[in-house]
Amino acid sequence: MSPSRGAAADRGTLAELSSQLAGAVERAGNAIVAIHARKRIPSSGVVWRDGIIVSASHTVRRDGEIPVTLPNGDSVRASIAGRDAQSDLIALRLPPGVGKAHVAPRADADALRVGSLVLAVGRPGRDVSASFGIVSAIPDAWRTWQGARIDRVMRLDLSIYDGFSGGALVDASGAVLGVNNSALARGTPMALPAAAVDRVVDELLERGHVRRAFLGVAVQPVMLPSALVQRLGLAHETALMVMSVADDSPAERGGLLVGDVLVAVDGAALRRPTDLLDALSHGKPGASLALRVLRAGSLETVSVTPADRAPRAEGG
Amino acid sequence: MPSSFGIGRRASSSASALAQFLRDAVVEVRCGAAGGDAGAGTGIVWGGAGLIVTNAHCVARDAAIAIRSGNRTSDATLIALHRGHDLALLAAPTVRGPMLEARDPLSLRPGELVFAHGHPLGVQDALAMGVLHAVVPDARSGEPRWIVADVRLAPGNSGGPLVDAEGRLLGINSMVVNGLGLAVPTPLVQRLVDHALSRRAA
Repeated sequence: MSPSRGAAADRGTLAELSSQLAGAVERAGNAIVAIHARKRIPSSGVVWRDGIIVSASHTVRRDGEIPVTLPNGDSVRASIAGRDAQSDLIALRLPPGVGKAHVAPRADADALRVGSLVLAVGRPGRDVSASFGIVSAIPDAWRTWQGARIDRVMRLDLSIYDGFSGGALVDASGAVLGVNNSALARGTPMALPAAAVDRVVDELLERGHVRRAFLGVAVQPVMLPSALVQRLGLAHETALMVMSVADDSPAERGGLLVGDVLVAVDGAALRRPTDLLDALSHGKPGASLALRVLRAGSLETVSVTPADRAPRAEGG
Repeated sequence: MPSSFGIGRRASSSASALAQFLRDAVVEVRCGAAGGDAGAGTGIVWGGAGLIVTNAHCVARDAAIAIRSGNRTSDATLIALHRGHDLALLAAPTVRGPMLEARDPLSLRPGELVFAHGHPLGVQDALAMGVLHAVVPDARSGEPRWIVADVRLAPGNSGGPLVDAEGRLLGINSMVVNGLGLAVPTPLVQRLVDHALSRRAA
């Protein structure tokens, strides 16, 4: 016998929520594919647009034609449109006419808040599976372990199981909020918001890679002597010392030297290496930057024009 | 801002009502290996009275088995052990509990709420909530072999019930693999119970 009648009215709420969550998984599952591109279990992917699948780049360990299992069980081969290491995203192209019925519904990103109920939906095989939790935090700006900055990445209180990276984070109605990835933060469950995924997908489809402005320097923060800081009227005590300049790089062409201390870029103070990374990520390759450089005791301005970091060959 | 927090309150109170119900449906199983310290797991009162189902790994053939139900402790005897499915059937004549309804594993949908009740890490009567992750079929027969749940289980949960939002039994929690909770499906358990009882009667 089910629990007493007294509790039956209350029981309806849980049962209703339960049913709704299962419905959300079913709705989202219609847009989740299995990607067979590594020795271990398959990874998950999301049909992001008509004919386009998005997944986590690190789970696709080969190039060329990638076997994909669609929600209806059909097996197809997708081709790689492009990868971006910084966001760990990959875009795959389905054969013409395939995937139209499976495009993922999108959630209203503005409705997302800390505490929102969310589901991670994956297909690490034939069938769809899920995990459940809440959005734990939505830090304004957050860095991957490599230093790349991602806006409004979602930190999750749920489990991203084996094969779930590349799958969808959905709200309680099954609409997609982002793409799950446990590799962005060395195991912490995170999801890249849909808007960020869109930007990356746009570029991957247009040019096969995401342009990343690149200078060709390695830098290290250094403390400047206070006498020098005072004499030069600097606003901060730490700056970035150039430790190496890559051959044939924008930094070399601009005339940067090992030992130069980078103090500001386009007027913005450079205190930490991430300040330089941020300036580069805001700029576009081809648009010059004015670097304020401390060289041999005096300040100079050096103009550099970042180039597009060449897309690295990955996978395979 | 939501106009009220009614749904949250109702969901919380029905979760605690479920916990209360399950408290009456489970027992603590303590098994003393010869001369050693007792391990503890959870057991389910089967068929309303006198029978306890738990995991085989919670008990040992020649050791004393004690059942704690509410405030009372009693002895239990081992009727049947099935190591392949990690199930054990115990007789505990004085133990009573509510009849649990069975939930057909084939009707389960990924994402639906599931609840595990037991005594994890020595904590008495703890409830964990999660969702169904998948139902894994037996490779040969195609019948449900494992109920896999996205739920946090710990040692001590073994032998306890995995139920749905309405308190219907999905299976017996048996192990954790890669963070996922695995339960032996109810039909499998029922089959073994029926078989053991018919052999006993014969």
